[in-house]
Amino acid sequence: MPEQPILIIGGGPAGMEAARAIADLGYHAILVEKRSRLGGTPDDAGYAALTPDFRNAGEAMAEMAARIENNPFVQIKLNSTVTAASGSAGNFEVTLQNGATAEQVKAGAVIIATGFQHFDPGRETQQYGYYEFDDVITLVDLEKMLKAHKVVRPSNGKPPERLCFIQCVGSRDRQIGNEYCSKVCCGIASKEAIEVRQQLPNCKVFIFYIDMRMYGYWENQIYWPAQEKYKVNYVKGIVTEVLKKGDRLLIRGEDTTMGRPMEIPMDIVVLSVGMEPSAGTRELAKIFGVQQNKYKFIETIGGALDTVTTNVEGVFACGAATGPADLEDSVSSAAAAAMKAIAVVRKHHVKAAA
Amino acid sequence: MIPAEALVKQAKDRQFVRTAEQIPTEDFHDILFELEKEGEWEVQRVPEPYVEVQTKYGRKKKIPLQHTWHHKSCGQCGHIPGYSTSIFWINRRLGFDYIDPTDQTSCTAWNYYASATSNAAAQAAVAMRNFAAAAETGYYPIIHCGTSFGHYKETRQQLIHSPELRRQVRDILKRLGKKFVIPEEIVHYSEWVYAVRDRIAERQTRDMSKIRATVHPACHYHKLIAEDAIYDPEIYGAQRSAIVTGTLKALGIDVADYSTWFDCCGFGFRHILVSRDFSRSFATMRKIEVMKAEANPDVTVTHDTGCVTTLDQSQFAAKAHNRNVGVPVMSDSQIAALAMGAHPYKVLQLHWHSTDNKPFLQKVGIDTEKAWQEFEAAVEKLKSGEQQYLTWEDADA
Ligand SMILES: Cc1cc2nc3c(=O)[nH]c(=O)nc-3n(C[C@H](O)[C@H](O)[C@H](O)COP(=O)(O)OP(=O)(O)OC[C@H]3O[C@@H](n4cnc5c(N)ncnc54)[C@H](O)[C@@H]3O)c2cc1C
Ligand code: SF4
Repeated sequence: MPEQPILIIGGGPAGMEAARAIADLGYHAILVEKRSRLGGTPDDAGYAALTPDFRNAGEAMAEMAARIENNPFVQIKLNSTVTAASGSAGNFEVTLQNGATAEQVKAGAVIIATGFQHFDPGRETQQYGYYEFDDVITLVDLEKMLKAHKVVRPSNGKPPERLCFIQCVGSRDRQIGNEYCSKVCCGIASKEAIEVRQQLPNCKVFIFYIDMRMYGYWENQIYWPAQEKYKVNYVKGIVTEVLKKGDRLLIRGEDTTMGRPMEIPMDIVVLSVGMEPSAGTRELAKIFGVQQNKYKFIETIGGALDTVTTNVEGVFACGAATGPADLEDSVSSAAAAAMKAIAVVRKHHVKAAA
Repeated sequence: MIPAEALVKQAKDRQFVRTAEQIPTEDFHDILFELEKEGEWEVQRVPEPYVEVQTKYGRKKKIPLQHTWHHKSCGQCGHIPGYSTSIFWINRRLGFDYIDPTDQTSCTAWNYYASATSNAAAQAAVAMRNFAAAAETGYYPIIHCGTSFGHYKETRQQLIHSPELRRQVRDILKRLGKKFVIPEEIVHYSEWVYAVRDRIAERQTRDMSKIRATVHPACHYHKLIAEDAIYDPEIYGAQRSAIVTGTLKALGIDVADYSTWFDCCGFGFRHILVSRDFSRSFATMRKIEVMKAEANPDVTVTHDTGCVTTLDQSQFAAKAHNRNVGVPVMSDSQIAALAMGAHPYKVLQLHWHSTDNKPFLQKVGIDTEKAWQEFEAAVEKLKSGEQQYLTWEDADA
């Protein structure tokens, strides 16, 4: 009897990488994805270029998908999700739902890779006027415009003369309950700032920040080029409100380096929205009974030395389902989850055979 | 060429759907009732009939219509007595049963916000004493003052989370011979006005369709325990608190927006005490002048004692400096009563206001000279000793 397959839920970068690792080692994976295609949030939200190497996001996701599509070790179930689960490590019984049809599958281990969703500025009313002003947009909206090479003010279709990013929207904010740093938005805003300057050399670009968080090589790859080569203005101090002034926007805040209040007219204000657990992450945690942290991301219990094990034996989590993560973190933790899931399946197989 | 709208939605097409899971704060109701079960306190239920409204994160809040106990405001009674009179007048017109209690103390939040005196137990004991006084009558407390309202909500939060504070306050109340009882909802009078706005509009006798107003939402209403304030998707897409604006719209008033709506009126407690000039200039330069420049309203309407007083009386000094001021200020209860036919002086007592409100009254179709004569005639009766105070019959005569 072959080993039980490993069930992976979520076909984003993390889920795809976990499936590939399992297949490469000759084990079987069932990959369940809610949407009609693989690629996760980078594909769904239509990211243009990825940090830090400006690689085309669509191509990168397609390449990840190609490695597992038509792979005899990976069964891909699109438009599907998990609605119920029972059993335990080595022997899970899981109900998959695809439209009106339900199907029971057996799995030796489970990897939850259901990812994140972008913070919605509507969750807090009165925050920066995203629901009031056409020219207040998010990082994701700008990504779409950059992809189409059409960075314009949504209100009038004209290219902006001044554009700014407001960092930490929905992150590092005790008031709204998301105390954590979303890790990627500083790098992504800087990357988008460079792209705006490349596409619209006459547009002045500002980034308002609490502190810029560039991990490792992103410092040299994006942060310094943005300032030195592309003349992006970094202003320390957070914006408090965005107002309408004539047909422009007025941002009001405090420049903490200069120690004074500021008011600057802008054409486009980009909100650097961070990450929150996706609805799928919250649901799946309940279905498998895995612990969530106070922000509802899935809690892993191994601290710094084991980032994928949950409190339920045989159930692992990886990628942005466990907390804010960039692609590097997501695929690395996916590989770790795959390895640990295989170990569970193997152990139970050996035990059953004995 | 790809149109921008194909890439990025216009603000009006962006939709945010609230779900229980996104609510970042705990539901205090659950804790109130849990503590009641544990015998910690009694919860005074909102009496029927009530109206259910939606708060900031989509939770429901019950607003009672009748059997209300009116917790008044020190500043209101002293500076703008027509404010509370209007609330009572509307209650009477709607045929609602209410109590204008005499057993109420000041909430003492003044001290607290000015970081002057007092401590958590004393503050909470005053709040709970007032709630007990209301509960004894069987009527439900409605708080007139934004300050008391915000302060009581903060106090409730402290009581909920501190067993030690509950113990201290319970002890104080026992010595006062009062029950330890907390209302199910802390309701601001303007929430009540909002809840009855359609009934007010049904009884409207004065045409307000030519009036353009701006609204100043009181900080103590929507910035303290923010999740408890009323929001309505119909009003600024739920980006501003719904009360006052909702009432004015029901009266057919054109409500205009302005960019400093979120700013304080200038009162700010500490600086009205230690740096009054700052209040004055803030009120006129950041609020009134901005409203005038951007919306040019006939009137600005707010819902807190401090805000009405500050916005109204600060303009007097600014006028002496030839600044661009001169916007009448009133409360939502005053303008609602006016729409229902209340007398501008006998009920609204607009003569206590320092900005010139006659052009506004005339635009509503009121003969201000005649109205003033009627008021003087009524006052004559007090001067001559024929009467000690004006009655509701005088008000409507
Ligand atoms: C604005 C923005 C831009 C970014 N750009 C970059 C970048 O340039 N470079 C970089 O390194 N990182 C970037 N990131 C981070 C990157 O998007 C994440 O690291 C990555 O997407 C995480 O991958 P994931 O597979 O864990 O989750 P996701 O990409 O969110 O994928 C989760 C998948 O699970 C599926 N799913 C969810 N629920 C269910 C369910 N119930 N049943 C079945 N399937 C389900 C979803 O449909 C989705 O396909 C960006 C993030 C943001 C916020
Ligand atoms: S990555 Fe930057 S913008 Fe994002 S939450 Fe962290 S500090 Fe704020």
